[in-house]
Order: sequence, then structure tokens, then C-alpha cells
Amino acid sequence: MKIWTVVIGVIVALVLLNQSVFMIDETKQVVITQMGEYKRTIDKPGLNIKIPFIQTTHPFEKRVLVSDAPPADYLTLDKKRLVVDSYTRWQIVDSIQFYKTVKNELGAKARIDGIVFSELRRELAAHDFKEIIGVQREPIMETVAHRASKIVTEFGIEIIDVRIKRVDLPKEVQASVFARMEAERQRIAKKYRAEGEEQARIIRAQADKEATIILADAYKESRTLRGEGDAKAVVIYAAALEQDLEFYSFLRTLEAYEKFLSDETTLVLGTDSELFKYLESAKPAK
Amino acid sequence: MAWQTGGRGRGEPPPVEGVIWQKLREWGQSLRRWGLGKSIGIGIGIVAVIWLLSGIYIVNPGEVAVVRQFGKEVAQVGPGLNYHIPGPIQSKSSVNMEQIRRAEIGYRTVKVLRGPTKHEPRLVEALMLTGDENIADIQVLVQYRVKDASEFLFKVKDPEQALRAATEVALRGVIGSTTIDDAMTVGRPRVEAETRDFLQRLLDNYQSGLQVVEVKLQVVDAPDAVKDAFHEVVRALEDRDRLMREAEGYAADLVPKSRGNAEMEIKAAEAYKEARVRQAQGDAAKFLEVLEEYQKAKDVTRERLYLEAIERILAETEIFIIDPQSAGGNLLPLLPLKEMMELEKPERTLDKYRDDGKLFRR
Repeated sequence: MKIWTVVIGVIVALVLLNQSVFMIDETKQVVITQMGEYKRTIDKPGLNIKIPFIQTTHPFEKRVLVSDAPPADYLTLDKKRLVVDSYTRWQIVDSIQFYKTVKNELGAKARIDGIVFSELRRELAAHDFKEIIGVQREPIMETVAHRASKIVTEFGIEIIDVRIKRVDLPKEVQASVFARMEAERQRIAKKYRAEGEEQARIIRAQADKEATIILADAYKESRTLRGEGDAKAVVIYAAALEQDLEFYSFLRTLEAYEKFLSDETTLVLGTDSELFKYLESAKPAK
Repeated sequence: MAWQTGGRGRGEPPPVEGVIWQKLREWGQSLRRWGLGKSIGIGIGIVAVIWLLSGIYIVNPGEVAVVRQFGKEVAQVGPGLNYHIPGPIQSKSSVNMEQIRRAEIGYRTVKVLRGPTKHEPRLVEALMLTGDENIADIQVLVQYRVKDASEFLFKVKDPEQALRAATEVALRGVIGSTTIDDAMTVGRPRVEAETRDFLQRLLDNYQSGLQVVEVKLQVVDAPDAVKDAFHEVVRALEDRDRLMREAEGYAADLVPKSRGNAEMEIKAAEAYKEARVRQAQGDAAKFLEVLEEYQKAKDVTRERLYLEAIERILAETEIFIIDPQSAGGNLLPLLPLKEMMELEKPERTLDKYRDDGKLFRR
């Protein structure tokens, strides 16, 4: 019978130990209630003691949690429809408040999603489409996080940030965006080809210009050279002909006759011509 | 005590509960034989030894083991053989600090049975709006590692999922203020750097304990629907270059040929000049020779030259000899002589090169 006493003793001791001593993990914080009444919150990890049976522990996450709501439709200031997928990172900062108001993470997520959705809708409706996808994205997210954070304080929650993960156009709009993109690309393609043509023409014209100048320069030089040749020839002729200009004239005239009086020429001569002075008599001319 | 109940047949096996009871009694008897306290002591001892030994653990190279005592972090242990007080007092979690982890956004590398890995796009993640309201298909690989083991383990729920989501936020944020052309071409390094910085900022903000090593854009492309139009632009670029190269070819052909022609022209002119001078010299020399002879017997030579020339001329020419008295001193009524004689006058051709052998050349 003694052995049973020991066994029961050990069991009772273990139950008491389990009821009075508890561990808090690094990732957890614990609320202790006594008969349903809040006693204290412990957020330091380690070993802790409570009154067995009448005190109860309620562990909560201490880590940063995420709430990723499904993508939803929003309307922008310039009346464009957007599909926005956002997530919210949050943390339980006041566990008893959290416990009292939303009970658990699931309840908290539902509340956060609703609040963020309405804040985001409000904020997106105040901005143009272009701002939302571009430069204003971060300020918008900050404003939404700030506003939502104020509201969720009563749930013992702190919102670390709200981030827009995806901003997309609705399916029906995508097609028209693609059409616009295509038109834009065609414009660019045309521009490139025209630029190529432009450059090509400039290059050709430049080449033509160079060629013309080269030929003109050559013409100029060639004329100069020919002129020089002619001038030198003139000097040489002059020097020689000076010797007897009358004789030159005589010779040159004869030569000219020979040239322009060919076999096709018909010559009409009078009998009194010098040439025929011996035609009628052999007497010397007077 | 099944065997005492008479309702069952002899050959039937004893009921199970009876067997257990029997065994327990036998065990109790043997315990009594050994001595109860001694037996319990040995039992507890063995259990205690096994329990204590279960605290031995090995930390692999590159890993850090975080030891928690009653849930509170008490130590971080490097690689090697180690010991911690076994659970539930102490527990440990190992984190590989040196491993470069990968997150693929916009695609997944899928292992195919017996074959190379396949690159499978995920359009929901990959398609995003650019700053100029185009849609781009962007796939990115993030390489990261754990920089703080306790943050990684205790601060964020599912830090690696947080990294994936934060990457999308960062990438889309950066692309949202970049034009599609920029992102596809020269802007890539900037997009990568800005995404990395943005992502790191988010991760630090969540105390995720993660360090981004590299953000690498794998694919930056136009969506399939408009890919052709983008390729058309590339073709147009090629065409532009081709047109320019062709024009350059034209220039490269024309200019040297022109230079050649120019040189030909100049050389011809030089030749003309030299020839002209030499011809003049030759003509002058001949004239002077003739003149010298002429001066020796002026009248005779003059008469001879004249008659010789006239002879040559009149030998080829048609001549009409008219007595001026009979014509009354007026030749006009006799013209035109050719028509009168019904003779066709042939076209007179002017052959300027037929003057070889003559005294002067013009």
C-alpha cells in the first residue's frame, strides 16, 4: 500500500507544479486572469509562477504578425479602377486589451482587414492613378498605416506598416493597356527607322559634298596647270616669232589656206590673178 | 483467474486481461526478490542517464544554435559538439547563418524528373505596372541569409514569407517609378540596387534578422501579348544601324573614287602643260630653222614656199577660172556655181586632229 501513496503523491505534486509553474517562450506573452478577472501581463520570457487552479494563463503572440487580405477593387481620384493587394504587419502590444476586444488573432485579422480596406479606399480615392503606382505609393501607405494604427489601438494592436504588394489593372483594362503599349512601340520603331534614314541621308549628302569639292578642287588645279602650260607656250612662241614677224605671217597664212581650202572647196579665180600671170604669157610680170 | 471459470472449453486460450495480471504478479514477485527500493533506484537512474544524455548535440559548420531555458534565450552556440540541459528545461534551435537562401519572385525553378530544371513563370507575381503605365513582366531572384539568429527565430512569424511579400512591395514600388524602357535596358542596376535597399529597410523594420545579399533581375520583358511589338522596335533599331552602315558604305565608295578621278584630272592637266611647253619649244625651233634658211635667200624661198603651198591647195580644190572682163567685173550672177552644175556639196567635216605634219598646231 505504501507504493501507491508514493505514486499518488508524485502525481499530485506534478499537477500542482504544472498548475503553478509555467514557461513563457521568446515568441510569446502571457495574460494571467484570476477567476476571469485580469491580474497581470508577463512579456518577459522564462519561468513564472501563478496560483494553481484559480489563476489561468492566456498566451499571445509577441512576434510581428501579418494579415494578408485578398486583393480588392479600388477607385482612384481620376476614376480608374485598380486591383490592389496589400498586407498589414502588426503586433500585439497590449495583450489584455487584445484579449478583451478581439479575443484571438483570427478576430484581430478580420478587424484589421476591414479597417485597412476602408482607409486604403479613402486614401486611394484621393490620389490619381499615376501617383499611386509611382511616387506617391509610399506616402499613401504611410498615411493608411498611421490612420489604421490609431483606430486599432483600442484592440491593443500596433500596426507596423501597411504595404501595397500589387497594384494591377482589372483584366478588362489590361487589353487596352496592351493596345496602347503596342501603338507606342510602333511609334518608337518608326522613329528609329526614320532616324536611320535621316542619318543615312546626311552621310550620303556629306559624301556627295566631299566628292564634289574634291572634283572641283581638281578642276581648279587642272585649269591652272593648263593655263600655265599655255602661258609658257605663248612666251616661247613670242620669243621665236619676234625674229621675223612678217615671215611668220606669210608662213602661217599659207598654212591656213592649206587648212581651209580642202578638196570640197570651190575656188573661183580671175584670169588676172597673180597665180595665172604665166597662163597667157611667159613674160615676167610687171 | 479465467482458468477457474468453468464456462469455457479447455483448449481455449486464457483471456488477455488475465495474462497481464499474471505478468504483473510475476514482475512484482521478482521485484520483491531484488528488493523494491533498489529496483526503482536503478530504473530512475537509467532513465535519468538517458535523459541527461539527450542533451548532447552537434552544431554543424555555419550554424548557430540558440539555447532557450524555460523559453528564455540564454546562449548562442557556435559549431561543434555541445551540451544543454535536456527539455523541458532547455531547448535549442539551430539556424544556418552562412547558407545563402533564395527566393524566386515571378517564377519558380521546378525540378523535373530526370531532366534539367524548368523555369516556370508565375504571371500573377511577374506582371506589374511601370511608372509610364505600361505592364512589364519582371522576374527576380533574391539571395539572402540570416544575420541575427534570435531575431530570425523570435521576432517575426514566418520571416521567409515576410521576405517574399516585402520583395514584391519593394520591387513594385521601384518599378512603379521607373519607365519600362529604363527597366529593360540601362536602368536594371539601379532597379536592383533600389529594390535591395528598400527590401532591407522593410526587413529591418520587421526585425526579421535577414540580410539581403543580392537582388538580381532575371527577366525584364514585355508581356507576351505585346512581345512582338517590342521585338519590332529591336528590329527597327537594327534597320537604323543598317541604313547608316549602308550610307557609310556609299560614302566609303564614293569619296576615294572621286579622289582618284580628281587625281586623274590633275595628272592630265600636268601632262597637257608639259606637252604644251614642249610642243611650243618644238614649233619655235622649227620656225627658227626655217627662218634661218629664209634669211639666206629671202625672195627665192618666199616664192618657193608660196608656190609649193598653192600647188598643194589647188591640187585638191575645184577651180573655176573666169575672165573678169567677160563677167563684167561681177561674179554674182554666176553663183551658186554648184547648183548650176547640179552638184551636191558634201558636208564639210571639221576634223581638228587631221593637222598632223603641219607647221602649227592649235
